[in-house]
Amino acid sequence: MAPKKTAPKPAAAGSSKTEEKKKPAAPAKEKGTKDGKVEKKSAKPAAKPAAKPAKPQVKKADKPKKDAAKAKSKTASKKAAINKAKKVQTKVIKGAFGTRVRKIRTSVKFHRPHTFRPPRNPKYPRKSVPRRDRMDAFNVIKYPLTTEAAMKKIEDSNTLVFLVHTKANKHHVKAAVKKLYKINVAKVNTLIRPDGKKKAYVKLARDYDALDEANKIGII
Amino acid sequence: MGKVKCSELRTKEKKELLKQLDELKTELTNLRVAKVTGGAASKLSKIRVVRKAIARVYIVMHQKQKENLRKLYKDRKYKPLDLRAKKTRAMRRALTKHELKLKTKKEICKLRRYPTRVFAVKA
Repeated sequence: MAPKKTAPKPAAAGSSKTEEKKKPAAPAKEKGTKDGKVEKKSAKPAAKPAAKPAKPQVKKADKPKKDAAKAKSKTASKKAAINKAKKVQTKVIKGAFGTRVRKIRTSVKFHRPHTFRPPRNPKYPRKSVPRRDRMDAFNVIKYPLTTEAAMKKIEDSNTLVFLVHTKANKHHVKAAVKKLYKINVAKVNTLIRPDGKKKAYVKLARDYDALDEANKIGII
Repeated sequence: MGKVKCSELRTKEKKELLKQLDELKTELTNLRVAKVTGGAASKLSKIRVVRKAIARVYIVMHQKQKENLRKLYKDRKYKPLDLRAKKTRAMRRALTKHELKLKTKKEICKLRRYPTRVFAVKA
């Protein structure tokens, strides 16, 4: 009991020194009380707010370890104080100069340092309104073909044949057919005719019949 | 449908204009299909009418849009480039009236000290 009694006392005193900044109220409490029982109680709350190295000290109650830790904390605080003093000293000696430290170069090459590049935030849009999209569904599909070969395609391969805007691609054609005629498309094949127009073979999905759709559109 | 007139279109709202545009465009596709499948002459002559009607709707839409934008940017310092005065390229780069009026202190002094005098000789 005796060593245990003495253990929390110096631990409390030691922790109070390093942890003064954290709880100014607590050390005052510890210093005031000299009763054994009250000290133990105060040691416990002191141990809780104190840093982790202080806590295992109190539990183990090992004198040399405690001293070493106390010494460490003392030297750490001493080092910080020394550094601060050095800084002040250089400032005093050199005045407004001499406080910048040389950068450590880890490569022989010199690359342009990265500067801050903010994202664009214009004060006014250059164009008042963006251009409207010219490739709408009506513009993509010009008209369906009604040649004999096209008719054959409708009956046999479940495909519709359209003449299409030359700048339209297969994705455009697929989307346009979906929008205009409300049918699902399996695939689109395109070619450019010798007279410069684009022909699109639009194969419909299984659950749609090209013949019915052709009747709806009006080609038959 | 009757003739599409600009004066009537200007009274309409944007949504209504868009709807009308859609209707006209579907009508045009039907007419084009009729042309391919050998339609009646009345249908074929209607193609031009519908095309011009679509053009009128676009005209009114854009005019309204531009007007609203100009209102929006009316008293702002920085306007989009297409809302600024067009004039000519050289005129846009010329000195402003204020800049032409500026004089150096030296010049102001001179003018004050030695103004052009105007005399009248008595007959």
